[in-house]
Amino acid sequence: MKPTGILFFPAFDWAISPTHPEREERLLYTRDQIFEEGIMDFPQIREYQPGLATAKDIARVHFCVPDIDTHITEAHLVSAGSALLMADAVMQGEVRNGFAIIRPPGHHAMTVTHGNRGFCNINNEAIMIEYLRKKYGVKRIAIIDTDVHHGDGTQEIYYNDPDVLFVSFHQDGRTLYPGSGFMDELGGPLAYGTTINIPLAPKTTDTGINYAIDNLILPMLEEFKPELIINSAGQDNHYSDPLANMAFSAKGYADLNKKLKPDIAVLEGGYSVETALPYINMALIMAMANIDYSNLREPDYVPSRFKESKRNLDYIKDMVEKQLNVFRKREEIIAENRQKAGDFHSYHRSIFYDTEYLHEDQRNELRMCPQCSGFRVINSSCQHHNGRLYKVSCISVPANACSQCQEQARRVYRDMSSYNHYDFVYLQDRLGDEYRSFDLQKDLEKVL
Amino acid sequence: MLIGIDVGGTYTDGVLFHGNSIIAAEKRPTDENDLKNTLLQVLDELLKAAGKAEIKRIVLSTTLVTNILATGKGERTALILLPGRSLPYSEYKICPETYFLKGSIDFRGKETESLDKAQLAQIINDIQLSGVKKLAIASKFCNRNAEHEIAVKKAVQEKCPEISVSISSEISSKLNFPRRAVSTYFTAMTIDKWNEFADEIEEAIKARGLQTEIHILKADGGTMPLQISRKRPCETVFSGPAASTMGGLALDQNEKNSVVVDIGGTTSDISLIISGQPLYASRGARIEDKFTHVNAFALRSIALGGDSLIWHDEDIIQIGPQRQGVAACFGGEHATVTDVFNYHLNLGIGNSEMSTASIEKLAGKAGMDSADLTANIVDMAVERLTRTIRDMFREWENEPAYKVWEVINKRKFHLDRIIGIGAAAKSIIPMVAERMQVDCLIHEYSPVANALGASVVRPTLAVDLHIDTQNNYYTVDPGGLKEELRKAGDWQLEDARQLARTHLDKVCRERGMEEYAAESSFYMEEQFNVIRGWSRSGKIFDLGLQVSPGFIKEYKGVEI
Repeated sequence: MKPTGILFFPAFDWAISPTHPEREERLLYTRDQIFEEGIMDFPQIREYQPGLATAKDIARVHFCVPDIDTHITEAHLVSAGSALLMADAVMQGEVRNGFAIIRPPGHHAMTVTHGNRGFCNINNEAIMIEYLRKKYGVKRIAIIDTDVHHGDGTQEIYYNDPDVLFVSFHQDGRTLYPGSGFMDELGGPLAYGTTINIPLAPKTTDTGINYAIDNLILPMLEEFKPELIINSAGQDNHYSDPLANMAFSAKGYADLNKKLKPDIAVLEGGYSVETALPYINMALIMAMANIDYSNLREPDYVPSRFKESKRNLDYIKDMVEKQLNVFRKREEIIAENRQKAGDFHSYHRSIFYDTEYLHEDQRNELRMCPQCSGFRVINSSCQHHNGRLYKVSCISVPANACSQCQEQARRVYRDMSSYNHYDFVYLQDRLGDEYRSFDLQKDLEKVL
Repeated sequence: MLIGIDVGGTYTDGVLFHGNSIIAAEKRPTDENDLKNTLLQVLDELLKAAGKAEIKRIVLSTTLVTNILATGKGERTALILLPGRSLPYSEYKICPETYFLKGSIDFRGKETESLDKAQLAQIINDIQLSGVKKLAIASKFCNRNAEHEIAVKKAVQEKCPEISVSISSEISSKLNFPRRAVSTYFTAMTIDKWNEFADEIEEAIKARGLQTEIHILKADGGTMPLQISRKRPCETVFSGPAASTMGGLALDQNEKNSVVVDIGGTTSDISLIISGQPLYASRGARIEDKFTHVNAFALRSIALGGDSLIWHDEDIIQIGPQRQGVAACFGGEHATVTDVFNYHLNLGIGNSEMSTASIEKLAGKAGMDSADLTANIVDMAVERLTRTIRDMFREWENEPAYKVWEVINKRKFHLDRIIGIGAAAKSIIPMVAERMQVDCLIHEYSPVANALGASVVRPTLAVDLHIDTQNNYYTVDPGGLKEELRKAGDWQLEDARQLARTHLDKVCRERGMEEYAAESSFYMEEQFNVIRGWSRSGKIFDLGLQVSPGFIKEYKGVEI
């Protein structure tokens, strides 16, 4: 059998700030544990060297305001680049699956980036998915976000994409950052039902999460038939995580991965650096490499310590049933939405950047295209810390766009570029793999 | 005067070195069943050449331990493992007599599960009944806290004083439990035989009335006193190839990127020198298909040597891997790689007519033109070597990196030069260099470069230090010591460096290598703030300080 690829990039020289949870120490004990176990020497494992993402890889997903260099440090390029490298190893058949144990994380980063949100600047998984689509022509992908925080960045990026099934289970947004991920967030009008949220009550245990996996996530995966399954692998559902309140164990994480069989797992959050991460990372590696993990447990774990309450299990059962129904009716509902729609579907969003205390306002216009999932225009404004208010217009053409949408989007970009209401206008043409930014003040266009 | 002797698989080479020249060189076939005797024959020849001059140092490189392990002639040894709660026990396929014991330590050195005393008593009982006399013990994270290993050793020795015990914390403090267990197991298995050999050598030296230092060459290209090797026999494995690499470097000391190709009778050993420093195997030496913690050069061996037999199967011409004696030009019966190059390039090695005759005979049988046949073989041999060398570059370039700057400053191997070592290098290496479009160095002393390397290399030493200020301790290797920190309060990197230096100085004194202590340098420096809550509660440092491979101070190069 082919080995499992592991790319371990602990970024021992990068931190948000010296005492921040996202600091050098985060993967230190994980390093100690996995190197002491000697698992990298095993024939079932192949270790990979980190890679570097390019500006174009990032532009395929993000509109960085004002530009990529402002937000992206070398650490981000290595982290995202490592996810790409792992994806290449899987796609080229060198390994049966791959786990990128990387930082900085990415799942809170949205399409438009004014700064860092939830410890994330750019979305590693989305950058990887668009890379896979471009390079290998992969179309249908499922992302299972197993971080305790709602993967709101990834959700926003794929909210209107019917070819990406985004499923996130997390601690209820009423009790934890980022305060979203409720049951009614189900995808845009043309991608309804391919965003599925599973908000869980604090203290939910292995039993509760596994119930949702068995009865909702696995059936959806079977019906959706993705070409690739990606685990956006946060490790903060653990009972010892200092930033969240769940009761998941290392063995629970191993079970979950054994069931999901992700092609690629990418590390997200997880801040119990000493009492959880070393064991969860080992658990994940073992599960992905098909090594028996029944002997593995955290030193302080007592199986009888956490019991799922009947009340919580009933709540989960009810939610699972509802969400599965929505998922199964998605095509019907999308057809209805198309019927009753006008030319454009518009919505407003207000986004808070918790790491940097920025407030962004967005107006989104989605073309209700009869052929494809439609291009999108995001008009965004946000005052940065340098005091400058940035007003930008971002036009995004999805990978599965029709040529009509592409043409129309290009026209919008040209029109906006001559309309001096904005500071910057951007065009993200995934279909043509061309990325433009226009600085109105300097009258300067850049093309990637 | 200095003596270096490399006991290789096929030949044993020795040189007597003084000032800047080789006074005498000696080469003879190795008697595999009596390494000591071969070694002493070579030594006696060199001593004869030395006359009454004082011999300051003798350095030996031998395949003894490698052979014991390769032929399964090590002593019967049992292994006690304390792997804790993680991988299944079935993944530890190290020793047929393995006992698993409960008890575990974590990465901070904290006991997370106490030793199971009842189980230990039962294991000791079983071991005693089994009649095994050698025991290796390895616990996970003993490099942070060796209490369990020490307690188990004590319990065994109390009950069975006749069993000799090796514990892994004394062998290495590097992370990687399976490699540490393997290294300890191999140590326990070879320690008596190695000590017998050491005794015999000491006696022989004494019998010859010599007052000289005796050193053993290690796999890392440095020497250690014979006395120190008594506890660490595994470090002597692969010292032959290390001798060749250091020999290649000795022939032309500079800061270039080189590849050293040692073309022996049946194999070619290839190693890399990066900016004048030999490259280490990142995973440690691989012995009998198992990774160990023995620090060794990154080495590739391919089955292609000067004596590799040329043969044909139907109309396909093949090289080796078998050897049936020496090349025809040296009186052998069959055409070998050396004969092919001799014929093809008109090199005039040995009795060239015999090369020609052997090639023509083979070509006739294969129904091929002699010139075509040799051109073909030359191309195959050169291609195989070139490909292996390029593979090694790629492997080095693709080593994992764990820091941002390592990835940003991604390294690329630019080869300056190929250094040919061994008798057959002269005929083969220039063509390899031509194909790779780099310079090559074939020195007059290439055939004995291994022994030259052994005679002039300096001692090496690596000190690994782990400091945990939150838990107020440090551990250090060699020695496997765990001590309380004497300095309270805030630790800076410089304090940690000072502690590493103090320990290195101490070990240097014990090994009589004080003069090299000042040349040590840090090969690893990591420091982490330990944050609990939102404030710092301590620091963790991981430092590596080493006296890297090099040459003794009096060595200034060799003149012909």
